[in-house]
Amino acid sequence: MWRVTMKGLLAHKLRLALTALSIVLGVGFVAGTYVLTDTINKTFTELFTETTKGIDVAVRGKEAFGGQESAEQRQPLPAATRDRIAAVPGVRAAEGSVTGYAQFVGKNGKPVFTGGAPTLGVSTYSTPGLNEGISLRSGGLPRGAGQVAVDARTAEKQGFTVGSKVKILFQGPAREFTVSGVVGFGEADNLAGATLAAFDLPTAQNVLNRRGVYDEIDVVAAEGVSPETLRDRIQAAVGPGYQALTGEQYAEENAKAVGQFTNIINIALLSFAFVALFVGSFIIVNTFSIILAQRTRELALLRCLGASRRQLMRSVLVEAAIVGLIASLIGLGAGILIAIGLQGLFEALGADLPTTSLEIRTRTIVVGLVVGLGVTVLASLAPALRATRVAPVAAVQEATMAAPAKVGWMRVTTGALLSVLGLAALMVGLFADEAGNRLVTVATGAVLIFLGIAVLSPLVARPLSRVLGWPFAHWAGQPGKLARQNAMRIPRRTASTAAALMIGLALVSLVTIFAASLKASTAKILDQVVAADYILTGPTDSFAGFSPEVVKQISAQPQIEAATGLRSGAFKLADGTGKNLTGIDPVTYDKTVRTDTTSGSLAALTQGGLAVRDDVAEAQGWKVGDLVTMQFPVGGTDRIPLRAIYEDNELNGEYMLAMRDYQRHYQDQLDVFAFVKSKPGVSPADSRGAVDRVVAQHPGVQVRDQAEFKQEQENQINQILILFYVLLALAVVIAFIGIINTLALSVLERVRELGLLRAVGMTRRQLRAMIRWEAVIISVLGAVLGLVVGVFFGWMMVAALEEEGITEFALPVGTLIGLVVAAGLVGVVSAVLPGRRAARIDVLRAVTTE
Amino acid sequence: MGGELERRLMSEGPGETEGTGDGAVATREIASRAVAISKVYGSGETAVRALDEVSVDFPAGQFTAVMGPSGSGKSTLLHCMAGLDRATSGEIWIGDTELGRLNDRRLTMLRRKEVGFVFQAFNLIPTLTAAENVELPLAIAGDQAERSWFERVTGEFGLSKRLKHRPTELSGGEQQRVAVARALLSRPTIVFADEPTGNLDSRTSGELLTFMRRSVDEFGQTIVMVTHDPTAAGYADRVLFLADGRIVDEMAEPTAEKVLEFLKGLGD
Repeated sequence: MWRVTMKGLLAHKLRLALTALSIVLGVGFVAGTYVLTDTINKTFTELFTETTKGIDVAVRGKEAFGGQESAEQRQPLPAATRDRIAAVPGVRAAEGSVTGYAQFVGKNGKPVFTGGAPTLGVSTYSTPGLNEGISLRSGGLPRGAGQVAVDARTAEKQGFTVGSKVKILFQGPAREFTVSGVVGFGEADNLAGATLAAFDLPTAQNVLNRRGVYDEIDVVAAEGVSPETLRDRIQAAVGPGYQALTGEQYAEENAKAVGQFTNIINIALLSFAFVALFVGSFIIVNTFSIILAQRTRELALLRCLGASRRQLMRSVLVEAAIVGLIASLIGLGAGILIAIGLQGLFEALGADLPTTSLEIRTRTIVVGLVVGLGVTVLASLAPALRATRVAPVAAVQEATMAAPAKVGWMRVTTGALLSVLGLAALMVGLFADEAGNRLVTVATGAVLIFLGIAVLSPLVARPLSRVLGWPFAHWAGQPGKLARQNAMRIPRRTASTAAALMIGLALVSLVTIFAASLKASTAKILDQVVAADYILTGPTDSFAGFSPEVVKQISAQPQIEAATGLRSGAFKLADGTGKNLTGIDPVTYDKTVRTDTTSGSLAALTQGGLAVRDDVAEAQGWKVGDLVTMQFPVGGTDRIPLRAIYEDNELNGEYMLAMRDYQRHYQDQLDVFAFVKSKPGVSPADSRGAVDRVVAQHPGVQVRDQAEFKQEQENQINQILILFYVLLALAVVIAFIGIINTLALSVLERVRELGLLRAVGMTRRQLRAMIRWEAVIISVLGAVLGLVVGVFFGWMMVAALEEEGITEFALPVGTLIGLVVAAGLVGVVSAVLPGRRAARIDVLRAVTTE
Repeated sequence: MGGELERRLMSEGPGETEGTGDGAVATREIASRAVAISKVYGSGETAVRALDEVSVDFPAGQFTAVMGPSGSGKSTLLHCMAGLDRATSGEIWIGDTELGRLNDRRLTMLRRKEVGFVFQAFNLIPTLTAAENVELPLAIAGDQAERSWFERVTGEFGLSKRLKHRPTELSGGEQQRVAVARALLSRPTIVFADEPTGNLDSRTSGELLTFMRRSVDEFGQTIVMVTHDPTAAGYADRVLFLADGRIVDEMAEPTAEKVLEFLKGLGD
């Protein structure tokens, strides 16, 4: 039996190679993702170990306030705490440090581009041991109010050298410094793409808005005192409001934070890899079905010769396992190449990762092999079962060419059941509140629906092919007619080939629709809610805000009626749940953004206080006049009076805090958005000029009018859309490999028929046209099914996200039609090789009987 | 009987058959003609000569049967004559066209218009109905079948009620009748049939051959049929006997008995 298996494999090398390709790509994607994220994690672990060198114990505020939109914030430590720590026995030195926002201005007068990485301002230490985290490349550490040390990468890129004058933006106005030195971090030139401006402690406290406080207190242990012992002593001394960590723990925690981020990348990329493998499994099912159907007589003969059904089954599965194993091994290799490629891409984007060797873990190899092997064997199970059910007598019977299309009740029931289950899971995931892991539920639902439709699709493949093939049958002559017949001929084959494409196109149209809906919703909010003429944002490549000076100066312009800045922050409710709020100036905000209150008024916030959205107030049972207990990074717990309850306008968040309260409770005072409204009667050119003149003093602040802002938003959405397209492209490519495979196998199966057509006068060109139109019908079938599913998914998703501000369901009809046309065109391309093969068929082979 | 064969060979010579002589052409129009064609497979010492300088004429409106033992070259002759395979040397004419000079495309066009085919099995496209199969060569050419002619041919072959059926729903005999009807529909210069009754029982064979005979008599169709069945050969106007790639004899006005008798003699 073993030899039969091997011979079978070798005989179908080429067909199996195409099958294997889909596994290679899928496994490559999986392995590449793991290698990349492992490498990033390792890099950061090494980097943080480097930067925390010399620190034995670090003390910081206990509560971390972190929302989805804002970076982690902790309550600062007063100077007195440092003194208390310095007095703990075993402490050799204790020194405060601060970290904040400091944006370099390049020689061109524009903020230095970081590709989204932070722009850090930090303090240095006077205790030499604590400065081990940074290594001086040239010059010295900064001393005094006018000096700054710059990271080596920024220095190199901007041409900063010791003695250079550099301009740096802070929360307040920009300031000029002299470069005292250039620093690195061990081997690395910067902190994974971030820019770093280091000052001495008093200067840092001053420019980073940390006067009199520290973000952290770092401790060096005395000789013979272990970090752990010292940590425990310090923890006891500072009490439960603060947290003491050993240097090692500290580095680990930092790395863990990065790990959470890479974990998101990991999950995102793996889901696309999963989609690719899912599509690939359809190709495997199809190829094995066709190959085994063609070998029916051979299998029956083996049964005649005494092979048991179990032996046949094992033979087929071993064949699948060998294909899966080889494909997975190649896929692992491909994955490493993909990881190198992605790393290069990140570097090209400016996120400069310190070069470390690629991290290839055993887990990566095991997962890659298990997934590749598993998918192949699982997918070949059904075809193997079907094929080995062959009766021995089939060996001596003439093989029937056209399988009759039966409507199996099993099929209908299974398909319907899967679809309904999937739909249920999708509904629960999308609409049920806090239903466990929603993403997993939604994904499971989508997979079940895809499987259900794939099971059901043979039922519609025939009528749909008839309809879609109509133009070809009527305008493409006899080849077109035959193409339509061929597409309708084995509905199961056509359907599963098209189903692979359906999945890819469903996801592509889903993201297309989602993006269009997002654009439409944003545009609607801007039109209906924002009364401002201009919208100001910080540098697009960093999430940092800009100085409140901007709004102050713009407000003073005679052409301007109102300018308002929005700040964002995280807090905790009494029950400990973290929430985000927006800090607003009630007077100017009300002039630029339309907010309808159901109770109280925004104007009341001028005395301080809180406004909440009506659904939140209802859920919490709050009424205007209540005191809401909130915990802030600065000042701890406070009871804030509720002054207003407003309707959802898709722009205001759930909580809005009066600016005077915001200023008391947050360390950083940066506007993330500003709205500017010009006076009536002032020409746009005039008001724009006034705004521009102010902004010119503040590099990095961007001004857009409503139209520009809309355009900008659309561009950003388009960029993400393109990223999704690229990631989904793999699944679509695999689906087209499936079409090539199916057509090639069909050509081999129909050698006699094709020969007959040639004999009775069909030219090679007509034969190729016939294969081409069949490919187009299958592709368009898959595209249409995918579009239907995609539109449905898109509609569901938009409906589910209505509360998140996606109120409009937009159907980009042109793009969707374009997708179908593109699918048809790629169908034409995928028919080239099978068509060539068909055209080469020897006419005589049809004529001569075996 | 061996002496009889030898005498014929001596008198007429290999490849010299009725109608190829200098003066004979005028008496009857020639539908297809082979002039000294050879077909060699392989090269050097392993070369196999399937056809050896065969010359033969197929007069228009005649039903010719080609017989011979397996490996005698009768199928090769048919394939070469029909433009499905190329002869190694010699000339093949169909009507006024010499096949050797045609490229694949022209050859395909010629097959489409001038040649009809009936094979032993697998004559029909399984996805098409009987009617569509009959019209296939015309449809491929982008032509419409002449309605009255289509009805006459299919009516003649007793297919009128089976036209909407697909091949799998037709009996073996019906399938072959569809194939013959298809071959006739484009009024080709010549129809080549390769063992058309090979897969049929004797009763259905008889029916099919009667139809073929009638198409010669009533439509004036030229048919060349390879067969190993003396009964089938009995329906023809003449029988050519092939052995070792040469035409070794021929018989005019054959009957099943005469052919059987002759073959017995060859076997000795």
